[in-house]
Parts: sequence; structure tokens; C-alpha cells
Amino acid sequence: MTWRVRIADSAGAAAGCAEAVVDTARPAARAVAALAGLRAPVVWVLLAIAFFTAISGKPVDGLLMLIVAAGLAWDAGRRALRHAGPGRHPDDGTLEAEGATEAEGATETEGATEAGDDAVARPSRLPGGRRRLLAVAALLACGAAYAGVVGSFSRYSWPATAGIIGLGTIVVVTGWHGPLRARPAGGRPPVAGTLAWAVVLVAGCLWELGALLQQPSLTTDSYAHPTISTLTDPLLATSPGRSALLLGWLALGWYLVDR
Amino acid sequence: MIWHEVTIAGYLVVVAGIVLLQVLATRTRVPVPSLGDLFTRAMRSRTGRVGVLVAWAWIGLHFFAR
Repeated sequence: MTWRVRIADSAGAAAGCAEAVVDTARPAARAVAALAGLRAPVVWVLLAIAFFTAISGKPVDGLLMLIVAAGLAWDAGRRALRHAGPGRHPDDGTLEAEGATEAEGATETEGATEAGDDAVARPSRLPGGRRRLLAVAALLACGAAYAGVVGSFSRYSWPATAGIIGLGTIVVVTGWHGPLRARPAGGRPPVAGTLAWAVVLVAGCLWELGALLQQPSLTTDSYAHPTISTLTDPLLATSPGRSALLLGWLALGWYLVDR
Repeated sequence: MIWHEVTIAGYLVVVAGIVLLQVLATRTRVPVPSLGDLFTRAMRSRTGRVGVLVAWAWIGLHFFAR
């Protein structure tokens, strides 16, 4: 019996799809399906970040990135196996495990679009009004308290590390289970405009990478070629500066979780 | 000394590019998606969503954690 398994890339775009035809009757074929997670570009990006972060003198960051990359690969492989498994076959014996992801203007919700991605958008729990206002006020108060407390710790100290890892874990695990609320999918973004964004963002990454590589070493700052980290060092040297930056980081995190 | 200013100018150009594209996306009819639209699009899949959130977590780790 032959099953067709399709794994969408990080953007869910058809162009990035890796496709494998899997004969699930054989153990070797099931192993191929289990390794489907390694076809996701995000997994390789995370592995690269883990490697370069570790050799830059931040082994904890590298280990965490490695754990997430392995988790994503395992999850994708598990879903590929589940969709390739017996009992879910359609009439013709071929399963297109990819959802109807790219229908232009479809009214699908996020989270149910990836191959085998059974994450379903959770219904909004705060239907407006006073309840929502209270929730927002509570979140703002918690965020301010978090930024104040974690910002009071020295940079690179274990208490600061624990605070960042704790919140980061909560946010990533929350995102893993799907978006907080359903959003209309919208259409495919304009190609030229998307390319313009890609050019600017990649240029920024390359500029930062160029500065990093022109340092005396990966762990020694350069005045002539400062990285963004070097430029923010004076701000992060003070407790109010750290708290201000943490507030910005929290706001960005909330914005992303709400996507 | 001059390279210090050149490097910073490069960052400022990138920031200006981001602001320009966002303004074009939100204030004009130029067919440019906003940064929010791009994030929403990228985060439609589980790998994309987790990837973006991990990138956010990595920023915190990079600047504050050991």
C-alpha cells in the first residue's frame, strides 16, 4: 500500500514542501516517515543556531535550541507516521496528508493548515468588555513586575537565566499547541513586496554577521565593527535599561503569540 | 574609527528600510504586506509558529541569559 505524505515548510508554502511517497507496509518506509521532520527547513535553521550559539560561548542557549529542533523533528515525524498509518486511508488508498493550505482567499483558520498539523485555533476566551480590560490590566501588571524583577538581576546571572528560560518555555509550549485565537487566513502576500522584506531583513542579518566575523574572535567585541549586542551593552549595564529592554521583549512576545 | 560609524550607519539603513516598508504597507496602496501579515503567514504552520517563537526566546537568552 502506498501513502503520499507531504510536509509543508515553515511558511506553509507549497514551494517549500518536501514530498515523500511512503510504503507504510515496510518498516524501512515507516522509518522514512518518522524522519520526515528532518525535511522541515526550520529544524535545520534551529540546528545551525544551536551549533553557532554553542561555539560562541553560550552552551545553554545552544542546548535549548537543540532540544526544540529535536522536538519539532520528532513531532513532524510522529504526525507523518500517524497520517501514514493504517485506518486513515481514503477510498483510493492514497492519502494527501497536506491540508488545503494554499487555497487563495480560503476561510481556514491558522494552525490547521500544515501537513498533519492538528493544532486547532483555540476559541477566544475573553469576549470583550470589562473582562477583557481586566485581563489586559493583569497582563500589563505581571509584565511590568516581571521586567522589574528580572531586570534587577545581573546580566548572565543564573536568576536572570532562569527567568528568561521559564517565560520562553511557556511561550514556545503555548505556541506549539496552536494560535490563541482564530484569524482569517487572508490571501497569498504580494511576491514583490515580500521579496522587498526579505531583502531588507537578510541584509540586516548579513550586516550583523559581517560585524561578528570581523571581531578579533567570536567572544571578543570590536569597537570598529560593533554587533547589535555590543551596541546595546551600555543600555543593558543598568537595571532600568535591562527592565526597559525586557518590556520591549515581552511586548514583542505577546504580539507574536497573538498572531 | 570610521568603520565604527559605517557599521552603525548600516544598521540604521536597515532600520530605515523596515520603517519604510511598514509605512508603505499600512499607509499606502503599494502592494507590500505589513510585517504583521508576514508573521501571521509564517506562523500558520506549526513549524513556522514554533520557529518564530523560538527566535523570540533566543533574543531574550542572547541578551540576558548565561
